[in-house]
Amino acid sequence: MSKSTAAANGHSLWQKMPKANAELFALTYGTLVTELVRDYESTEDINEQLEKMGYSIGVRCVDEFLAKADQAGMVIPPCRAFAETAEVMAKTGFRMFLGVSAEVQMISDSSFSLLIYENPLSLFVELPSDPKWKDLKYSNLYCGILRGSLEQVNLRVECTFVKDVLQGDDVNEIRVDLKEVLVDGAGEEYQEE
Amino acid sequence: MSRAPSNILDRPLGGRGRGSNSSTEAAVSQSAFAYLYSELVQYHQSRVASISELERRLESSGYGIGLKVLELLSYRSKESKRETRLMNVLQFVSANVWKSLFGKPADSLERSIDHADEFMIVDYEPLTSTYVSVPSDLGQLSVDAFLSGIVAGVLDGAGFSARVTAHSVTLEEGETSYGSSNSSLPPRRDKAVFLVKFSPEVLKRDTGLER
Repeated sequence: MSKSTAAANGHSLWQKMPKANAELFALTYGTLVTELVRDYESTEDINEQLEKMGYSIGVRCVDEFLAKADQAGMVIPPCRAFAETAEVMAKTGFRMFLGVSAEVQMISDSSFSLLIYENPLSLFVELPSDPKWKDLKYSNLYCGILRGSLEQVNLRVECTFVKDVLQGDDVNEIRVDLKEVLVDGAGEEYQEE
Repeated sequence: MSRAPSNILDRPLGGRGRGSNSSTEAAVSQSAFAYLYSELVQYHQSRVASISELERRLESSGYGIGLKVLELLSYRSKESKRETRLMNVLQFVSANVWKSLFGKPADSLERSIDHADEFMIVDYEPLTSTYVSVPSDLGQLSVDAFLSGIVAGVLDGAGFSARVTAHSVTLEEGETSYGSSNSSLPPRRDKAVFLVKFSPEVLKRDTGLER
């Protein structure tokens, strides 16, 4: 799938989705993070919780993505290379759900960086300058979402936040590394036939 | 292209003097909000033992948002005076707040016949419960408690302290949810009613102002 098709698909899926107010979305996420901060002591725990929540969202949203694309008459063929997966995710997936596109920078055949310029989760957000919060990955939800959704299409990945606008960098960068291509569980016994 | 000012307080909030903001408003898909909200509810659900505690937690989550929404909307609106009368602030909530958060004003605002201090804001399709199904063992739970928290925050911030609760009321015969934006979902059988009960001093103050 070429880059421009992915982008065009993303745009047209986005048009079809019923919309919600982005500020309400951002404020709700802020509330969630605040609750986590109140309930957990260390920033690692908070990051982990956010990633877990993201994972559970990711598992569910990939179904919606494929179903809606199918309904819209789009063909999203099985990706032949990890780079294609990255493009579809960044241009079509992100655009459809969040209305913003992300960019892909391939680092190698099995890892890429996802660059997010406009982050709808961190609207109105500023982190306190206390050194304790240097390790807080505010938008760690994305890492979980990526991990969850890719796992549903048989790709086991690890995602980490490399750069964060809230921590002072100029762009949000998530590094995605492909660890393993999973096989469907029931395969082995039937393969001999 | 100039960089956004590094201090968050200096960044533009948008909307001031730009008239209707519906076309320029930033949006995400409803699904994204629904997923996020479901995670919030699940998170709280794992930490509480009863339905009413879950509702209370959702309400307190929404409260902070209500305060901020009030500030945002007041800043962006063309009116320069703040609301001091009860009916006006309720109109503000059911029309402006609802329109800005959900894209349409609330479906109706009613006054209770039995109690002078109770009002009801009705929404046929609140965003929070559109994608949520409540299992039968959680019977009376209304996940719209989050929205009632938002309303309580807005009212409290405006100086009208109130207790707001969310109830699911079955639709009567002949009542339909008009203009349902998401026709792919099965039609709802209930509407959300937000019962607003003002504190006695608010009512006293309001009747005092009438003279």
